[in-house]
Amino acid sequence: MGSVIRRVLIANRGEIAVRIARACREAGLESVAVYSDADADALHVRVADRAVRIGPAAPAESYLSVPTLIAAADQTEANAIHPGYGFLSERPELPRACEKAGIIFIGPPAGVMERMGSKIGARALMQGAGVPIVPGDTPRDQSDDGVLAAARGLGYPVLVKASAGGGGKGMRIVRHDGEAVESIAAARREATAAFGDGTLYVERLIDRPRHVEIQIFADAHGNVVHLFERECSVQRRHQKIVEESPSPAVTPAVRQRMGDAAVAAARAAGYRNAGTIEFLVEGEGDDARFYFLEMNTRLQVEHPVTEAVAGVDLVRAQFVVADGGRLPWTQEALAQRGHALECRVYAEDPAHGFLPQAGPLRLYREPTGPGIRVDSGVTEGDSVGVNYDPLLAKLIVHAETREAARTRAANALRNYPVLGTRTNIPFLIRLLELAAFRTGRLHTGMIEEHLAQLAPSDAPSNNVPPEAFIAAAFATAPSVARTGSDGSTLADADPWSTLRRWGR
Amino acid sequence: MPSRTIMLVPISDGDDDRQYQVEVLDDGPRQRARVEQRVYEVTHDGHGSLRITSDRTTTAWAVTVGDVRWVFVDGRVYELAEARPRERARAGGHHGSLTAPMPATVLRVLVGVGDAVKRGDPLVILEAMKMELPVRATSAGRIGAVHCRDGELVQPGVTLIEIDEG
Repeated sequence: MGSVIRRVLIANRGEIAVRIARACREAGLESVAVYSDADADALHVRVADRAVRIGPAAPAESYLSVPTLIAAADQTEANAIHPGYGFLSERPELPRACEKAGIIFIGPPAGVMERMGSKIGARALMQGAGVPIVPGDTPRDQSDDGVLAAARGLGYPVLVKASAGGGGKGMRIVRHDGEAVESIAAARREATAAFGDGTLYVERLIDRPRHVEIQIFADAHGNVVHLFERECSVQRRHQKIVEESPSPAVTPAVRQRMGDAAVAAARAAGYRNAGTIEFLVEGEGDDARFYFLEMNTRLQVEHPVTEAVAGVDLVRAQFVVADGGRLPWTQEALAQRGHALECRVYAEDPAHGFLPQAGPLRLYREPTGPGIRVDSGVTEGDSVGVNYDPLLAKLIVHAETREAARTRAANALRNYPVLGTRTNIPFLIRLLELAAFRTGRLHTGMIEEHLAQLAPSDAPSNNVPPEAFIAAAFATAPSVARTGSDGSTLADADPWSTLRRWGR
Repeated sequence: MPSRTIMLVPISDGDDDRQYQVEVLDDGPRQRARVEQRVYEVTHDGHGSLRITSDRTTTAWAVTVGDVRWVFVDGRVYELAEARPRERARAGGHHGSLTAPMPATVLRVLVGVGDAVKRGDPLVILEAMKMELPVRATSAGRIGAVHCRDGELVQPGVTLIEIDEG
């Protein structure tokens, strides 16, 4: 690709930074990783062509510091920055600083990001473009009483959430006056802590909705396409866990309407690069109604689901478009083939309120096989820290049908041993086997509704199979020679320190 | 090599402290083990991966982390420990102490000594990874002691609150 971009600084960490570094290599671009002190040995640092330290573990002083990242790009002569997701990916300060420094930002223009980042601005824009929206309001009076009055005005149940945010932080469901004050205060605290802005937004809660989003992509030549939907209803506390495409509930007619609305929305916003329009879907069949929820002005965690069914590489297309090139696909050439499903593997303990876990990955083996892709930010021997999101990896499977994809995912998870730190892998298997999931009757409250069935079936000690006791009897601290990727043997008293180095 | 016997007990949740006796009959790359009169053939690759065969073959993975033996079988994870005489592998929960599950900051302590609490009541709000995590009463009772204060950084396993049951 007649590239202006030569060297890409990846302003992120974990699996997404690894995924972007791989895309760089395939596109013939050099990659620059950045790392905080907590990540000096992390996989994303090991796979990049170069790496720069950007500060201490606290995100505000490293991955969230615009001046530090611009300086790192300067220092390494990177002429483009990819923000990944999370961190600074939706903060207009970054593209603005890039522009000033003569660096290509791989994402939408700052102005679009700014407008879509404000829930109020985004809603107004969507309304103007004829896209349906959920009734809601950012109260002018942001006091507890003001927010309470707005909630009453809409009628319970309502959702109180951070005006600035996403990812479920600072979000509360309020069903009656009695719980309003406590929820408003908690939402405001979390919003302030997560986004530095405690402004709250209140909207009518659609009961048992589906969360379906449309991937869009736009270039600088006026081309806008959508790449179909992703069904993301399987969530816990607004954090997505399993995503898939196609949605089992979206009919061809509804898909067409949603796709058209998403393209209209992207055009109205003057969008460029990869983006996602999130919708809430209510009802069934061709009569299902959908409402604009928000626009994510970045690559999504679940983008591989679209890559699998549409047969595209979204990150590579991001490079092309950021470079001023044309979209590699026309709408007519795009089609959904088969069924893709993504499971997010978190270091968390489902048996104890899904608490994030920290610790060593003493044994970590990813599954392989036809139609199986694992995007991960860790390898065996790494440690999971407490400083960042506990997402370890994403398992993405692709198969002919939804049922084939479901069984493929469950089988892959049965061959995905992670030991030393608790993960949600056993929980994901139970989720995939839940009748409501099997039959595709998904809604955003599904996990809460079936929490009892999703809990470990019995007290574990009541049904530990004899094989587990035998395996335990033979368990050893792994202290064996390992062969590095260069064929050299790395024997050491402590393989956990040497393992970190291979591949460098 | 002579046979050796290991007593194992699950240390994850569950009140059943049933112990299992595993008799390792011979060592080497092909080994046999006996559990409850049944003999299993075991092969392992030295990297934590095992194949265990009786009338069927099961793949398992196992490593030790300190005193804990972590096992992955058929998509489930078990944490087991070697049982030692007159010593319970799991810390007793009789006095109803509540500990921090992970390194966290105490956002707010919601109770004081002597307060009556119901099972499930939030006692302390912790913050970790920008999320608020309530620590809830595991049983009804009165607060016997409070060992943390607002703003304090706490480590996993450290007792935050004690509840006197009854």
